[in-house]
Amino acid sequence: MQSSRMESVTGEFPVHLEGLGKEYGHFTALKSLDLTVPSGTSLGFLGPNGAGKSTTIKIMTNLIRPSRGRATLFGIDVRQEPTRALARIGAVIETPEFYGYLSPLETLAYVGRLRGMSSSELERRSEAVLKEVKLTDWADHRIQEFSKGMKQRLAIAQALLHEPELLILDEPTSGLDPRGMAEVRDVIKSLKDQGRTIFMSSHLLGEVQEVCDDVALLNHGELLIHGSVRDLSRGADTSTFQTTFLSSPTPQDLEALATVPGIVEIKDGGDSTIDLRISGGEEAQARVLEAMVSRGLKVTTYRPLGSSLEQLYLDRIQESDRL
Amino acid sequence: MTASPVAQVVTVASYEIRKYIRGRRLLGILILVGLIVGLFLGLPPALGIAYASTPNAFVSTFATFASLLVILGGVLFAADALVSEHEKRTGYFLFPNPVRREVLVLGKIAASLIVCAAVLTLYYGAAAIAALAITHSLTWDIGLSYLYALAYMTAVVGIAYLISSLLKSTVAATVLTFFLFTLIFSIVGGILPLAKIAPWFIPTSASGIIADALGGPAVGPGPGGGPGASFIPDPATSVIVFLAYAVAGAVLAILLFRRRELSS
Repeated sequence: MQSSRMESVTGEFPVHLEGLGKEYGHFTALKSLDLTVPSGTSLGFLGPNGAGKSTTIKIMTNLIRPSRGRATLFGIDVRQEPTRALARIGAVIETPEFYGYLSPLETLAYVGRLRGMSSSELERRSEAVLKEVKLTDWADHRIQEFSKGMKQRLAIAQALLHEPELLILDEPTSGLDPRGMAEVRDVIKSLKDQGRTIFMSSHLLGEVQEVCDDVALLNHGELLIHGSVRDLSRGADTSTFQTTFLSSPTPQDLEALATVPGIVEIKDGGDSTIDLRISGGEEAQARVLEAMVSRGLKVTTYRPLGSSLEQLYLDRIQESDRL
Repeated sequence: MTASPVAQVVTVASYEIRKYIRGRRLLGILILVGLIVGLFLGLPPALGIAYASTPNAFVSTFATFASLLVILGGVLFAADALVSEHEKRTGYFLFPNPVRREVLVLGKIAASLIVCAAVLTLYYGAAAIAALAITHSLTWDIGLSYLYALAYMTAVVGIAYLISSLLKSTVAATVLTFFLFTLIFSIVGGILPLAKIAPWFIPTSASGIIADALGGPAVGPGPGGGPGASFIPDPATSVIVFLAYAVAGAVLAILLFRRRELSS
């Protein structure tokens, strides 16, 4: 609480994006993004491929210049003072490549020395981060022998090396197998528990829900939603329920169902299954089930497809695509 | 917490040198140096030809090929240094660190110069030892030729870095650097005198002083050329030309590398 008040006074939020825009020729990758991430927050930066997530992250890490607006990290403008702005962050951008002739230990020593870490500190931290990403057994092997997943884990290790206050992660589980994905999520969750600020882009909603407190949804370079995962899940009152019957409902049954308050859309999935889009939260869902049973339909399963947040995500993306 | 820019330049240079050593490029050029020295020392007795009797004449045979060695050094140790960070995507790991792009370029240039200078020193060292063993004497001219070769090396490295900051492919940067110095500059330097323009500003023409310091090239300039076709500026002009190319190349490389965006 005190930290938030301090931030509002000094304007030193870990991430503050102000009217950020980027054009590649005639293509607008980012329109005018305003976004602030307070200290200790883990923000999931969601959006489909090409939404502008990587563009934003590249501007934040000084890999590209914004066409307009500005990005500040801890109150320091990334364009004006890149070395100061980047000193307090750790970043994983896409799946980076490393120098194949170096080992993970040497790679960590390289970035550690650029950051001014002492030899003893480097030794201690290298051991810790390689253990954290389960690369200890490969510490002295040349990276040219590594798989994509191992390189991704090394990327996370180098981002954690100097114990940064802010972690910027661009699709950190990309290229990993399911086990690797779970391990990386566990690492991120433990960092979140330590109070680090996390800015993580992803196109996987489940991943963001599992790891992040807040979510920002981007599409076509525009911010569509920004809020806490909990509030948005509560606020999203439309869900899709997959319903299976003992025998297929007749067209008359479906017509009658369409009149039940709360049903927004009915999709016939075949094989005695229909998808019902229901608006109005849990009460409406119960009412619909009741209506089907009272009409004599023998319901064998009635289960939500995905979460309400997922529905909200899909709805807003579709809405923004239509515009 | 960030290291000072000087410490960062030293760190970048040391890791770049490690790259050249482990990437076997250094081994490759050392084998080439061994081959050239071996041929110069082994072929004359094998063919029944006497060695040159003066140290200058003896070392001028080596000096004639020093320019080619310098160009190969620039191609192997400089031409892909910047472009590879973009093409091979290593920039995604390196650039988000608190290190300025100019520091990266300066560190890389330092590494290229150190490695190229080491190769050249070994080459001239071998030539000087052989000259001492065979002619029993050495001259200051040999040292002067070595210094001119080092000055030429700075020009080649500077231009190689400029090309590396401009192009998008490591292969294109490497090929263009090689052909610029072995073909394009030589053609321009050969044709300009026909139009009554002295090619003093062409680095390959200025590189003639490397052998000229020892009394002139021991090997002719090649098909179509001849003693009358080659123009060599005076030593001071040549050194100024080398340094101008080195500084202009490095400065432009830094500016271009700073402006270049890393986007796939």
